[in-house]
Amino acid sequence: MDVFGDLLMGLSIAITPINMLYLLIGAIVGMVVGVIPGFGPSAGLAILLPVTFGMDPTGAIMMLAAIYYGAMYGGTITSILLNTPGESATVASTFDGYPLAKKGRAGPALVMQAVASFVGGTVGVILITILAPMFSQVSRSFGPPEYFLLAMMGMLTLVVMIGTNWKLGLISALIGFALGTVGVDLETGQGRYTFGSAELIGGIYFIPVAIGLFGLGELFYSFYVGMHRSGSGGIVQYDKEASFWPSAEDFLTTRMTMVRGSILGFVVGVIPGAGATIASLMAYSTERSVSKAPEKFGTGEMAGLVAPETANNAASSGAMIPLLTLGIPGSASTAVLLAAFMLWGLRPGPLFMEQNPELAWGLIASMYLGNMILLVISIFAIPLFVQIIKVPYRILGPIVVVICTLGTFSVHASFIETYLMFAAGIIGFFMRLYGFSPAALVLALVLGPLAEEALRQTLTISRGSGMIFLERQASLWIIGVTIVLVIVLPLMSRYGRSSGTAEKAGT
Amino acid sequence: MRIAFLLAVLAGGTYYTYVAFADLNFLTRTGRLGPGFFPRSIGVMIVLLTIWALSDALRQGRGDQADAGRWRDVVMLMALAVCYAVTLRVFGGFLATVIYLAVTLAVLNRGRPVQNALLSVIVPVVIYLLFDRVLNASMPPGLVDILPI
Amino acid sequence: MFNINNTWLRNSLCATLVAAPVAFAAPTYAQEVYPSADETLDWTIAFGPGGGNDIMARTIIDILKKYELYPGDISPENRAGGSGAVGWGYLYGQSGNPYGISTTSGSFVTTPLQADTPWQPSDFTPVALLATDDLVLVVNGSSEIQNIEQFIAAANAGPMNIGGTGTVNVDFIVPTLFAEKAGFEFEYVSFNSMADQTTALLSDALDAMVGNPGEILGMIDSGDLRPLVYSGASVPAALEGVPTMGDLGYDIGVSMPRGLILAPEVPAAVQDWWIATMKKVVETPEWADYIKTNTLTPTVIYGEDFRTFLNNTKDGFEVVLRSVGAID
Repeated sequence: MDVFGDLLMGLSIAITPINMLYLLIGAIVGMVVGVIPGFGPSAGLAILLPVTFGMDPTGAIMMLAAIYYGAMYGGTITSILLNTPGESATVASTFDGYPLAKKGRAGPALVMQAVASFVGGTVGVILITILAPMFSQVSRSFGPPEYFLLAMMGMLTLVVMIGTNWKLGLISALIGFALGTVGVDLETGQGRYTFGSAELIGGIYFIPVAIGLFGLGELFYSFYVGMHRSGSGGIVQYDKEASFWPSAEDFLTTRMTMVRGSILGFVVGVIPGAGATIASLMAYSTERSVSKAPEKFGTGEMAGLVAPETANNAASSGAMIPLLTLGIPGSASTAVLLAAFMLWGLRPGPLFMEQNPELAWGLIASMYLGNMILLVISIFAIPLFVQIIKVPYRILGPIVVVICTLGTFSVHASFIETYLMFAAGIIGFFMRLYGFSPAALVLALVLGPLAEEALRQTLTISRGSGMIFLERQASLWIIGVTIVLVIVLPLMSRYGRSSGTAEKAGT
Repeated sequence: MRIAFLLAVLAGGTYYTYVAFADLNFLTRTGRLGPGFFPRSIGVMIVLLTIWALSDALRQGRGDQADAGRWRDVVMLMALAVCYAVTLRVFGGFLATVIYLAVTLAVLNRGRPVQNALLSVIVPVVIYLLFDRVLNASMPPGLVDILPI
Repeated sequence: MFNINNTWLRNSLCATLVAAPVAFAAPTYAQEVYPSADETLDWTIAFGPGGGNDIMARTIIDILKKYELYPGDISPENRAGGSGAVGWGYLYGQSGNPYGISTTSGSFVTTPLQADTPWQPSDFTPVALLATDDLVLVVNGSSEIQNIEQFIAAANAGPMNIGGTGTVNVDFIVPTLFAEKAGFEFEYVSFNSMADQTTALLSDALDAMVGNPGEILGMIDSGDLRPLVYSGASVPAALEGVPTMGDLGYDIGVSMPRGLILAPEVPAAVQDWWIATMKKVVETPEWADYIKTNTLTPTVIYGEDFRTFLNNTKDGFEVVLRSVGAID
């Protein structure tokens, strides 16, 4: 198998004018969809799937794939500017992205975000090109024990989130876990905290809670501190002298972050079901533990934004591997792509790439081009987005309320979820005011159900024995990597640091 | 207020824990971890930690008394948001947004009636065009259809 | 912008409608000719993407769009969870809404038996039973077990872990009945979706799993999964050489009803419109293709007969589940 021959053939298919046009449309639509809170890649794909009917399958799939990773680029913009993640994979990007914007570095943050997305996406495609067969082995070595361990690894980020007041942080996370148990129990089918309501059977959906807690909660808090009265200024007193472009230092300090984020993100993305959220969280906590100044994370550290951004884009590329090599959709978004394949009469499975080389390699080649297109679009669009934070807060505030509300509604056309978003907004304000951690709550809400289901499946399989985690090769790998990330790397960077900063970090 | 919020968390946590013990089984009939395993563990931890945090807060006393002006603005904004949620159900996404923006901007952005009026119309129109025409996504329908869209 | 509607076709379709007054329509929904091109059809898929229910729903939607049988927009939503309780619970909450629709599968009957759902299958407005499908028991392609006899022997030596989607579901009933007849024991592991359980099987966390052959044919073809036994009456062409449970003398006679339902309390005119439309859908070559590639048995029953079928199936399942102690 000559990989480069295949790739060249793919390029020759992707680069036809009509396919390039589809790719461009897909990239733009994906970005727009990603920017709106509530719309993630999967919602965007599902909405736009019908548009591709009647198109030639190669062009259509290239366009759908571009919407998918384009939405990953756009999703971070509101995380940085408004502290409102549009989907779970960009929650981690708010941790340092929004503080950066508040420090007056919104421009550099957005540019670095686009660069990080580009690096993550491109490294992801390179790895698909050369290592797809190898990684299909990775995606077939994960069962419930490994998912449980992965969820636990994601939860390590909670430790970072909980921060200074551990009691309140832990209470926040526990509230998230508690909300995560609402709904019908997978194993027994018994309703938990549903109180007979059909609306609660499905559990509490993540999007309205996240948009409310972060977006509205932050907004109310800003009014509490009186930001709307601060003359003509926007979210920050944007310094006209401040550079729009990232400094050389931004690039230099984050170049290894990008490498780590890309590889970590891709590997986690390859695992069906784990995906971009866990990847971005793991990248964030990894970066913090290897950092020379972990105490700066959460206050607007560029590496804290770059890490999750590279990782979630690399993960969205990685998720193509189980789809292309096994026919298993690893996420809601790739499931829509799978459905699209099947609608065109293609049968994804282990023989897919062999039987449809033009389509498979055309798609892979188009992902290189798509990432380049998205980088260029981002760079051009960023000056426009930066204008947002120059809008006076007393005008921007009400508009943010409107966008959060209508964005939340549009996901499931649900009034209940819209009201839930308002309730979460009010609770989020008090949490912020009294030192609780909304981020810990949201992450626990995402990871809790995953951990509970996987643990109960694991214990059923092992007849109640915990030894199963030590008997499986993949589990041992995860445990090993966790030990390195949590114990070895922080120790190493601590020794490498001057003693003064080390003491400061310990407080 | 901090104490009131912690008491509210404690009340919610206690109720959650009560339901976990009353309605949900710790183990299934075949002896696996049941639907109540996690809720009971989580609930007990919430209650204990909240009591702890509450005792800390009581010991510190009520240090953070904010001035009434700050609260007035936040409470007003929350009230306006709740009104928006209600009008959304009644008038639908488009009209409710026009009303909400007109009222909120009139309060917050005083003395600029032309700017406010323009914003109250342009923002909903742009959102409507983007959601309904381009993205084919749903806007909240109203109980009373006044506008033919 | 993207709504490309053929006005001529839409008009002719509207003309076929019974012009009866729309008695039960909630005030939110305009009381005009059904279906209105301005209303988005809210299509609930009660399971995760990529599953059998998902594929069927998206196939029907594809046909409706391709032949322009439905004038408005169709928005398919995966509302997965609780063995279907979530999605159909959502549809139940849409009572009277002529624009809420869903496809059914075995869980439509079994979930209300076991969970305290607010709805029963007979609450919904039945449109049609379109097909039944059956399950195949597979092991990992690298497994030492080559055929069903070896599987039963191995299961007798020590209980196996068998995965399926949902707990009280045909995925659970089929292996339970089979194990009872063949005389072996097993542990059932419940998953949220076919993708999750397939990954678990490929990772050797499970010993075997049951699933719709249509969803895993790609991996059966490539040898990554090995089919052992089929629960249907006759083996589809794609699984040639695999014995049926009946061949082994362990016939269980349970299959998954795949049909189409509307929200409860929907006007009869709407139900009639969908019955007429589905009669066109099942005649299309795309539908025949779907039946073939997904190895289904075409069994078509319309309207109230479908409701009766659902009630009979539910009674049958209830007896089975009670006898194995899965429900009280």
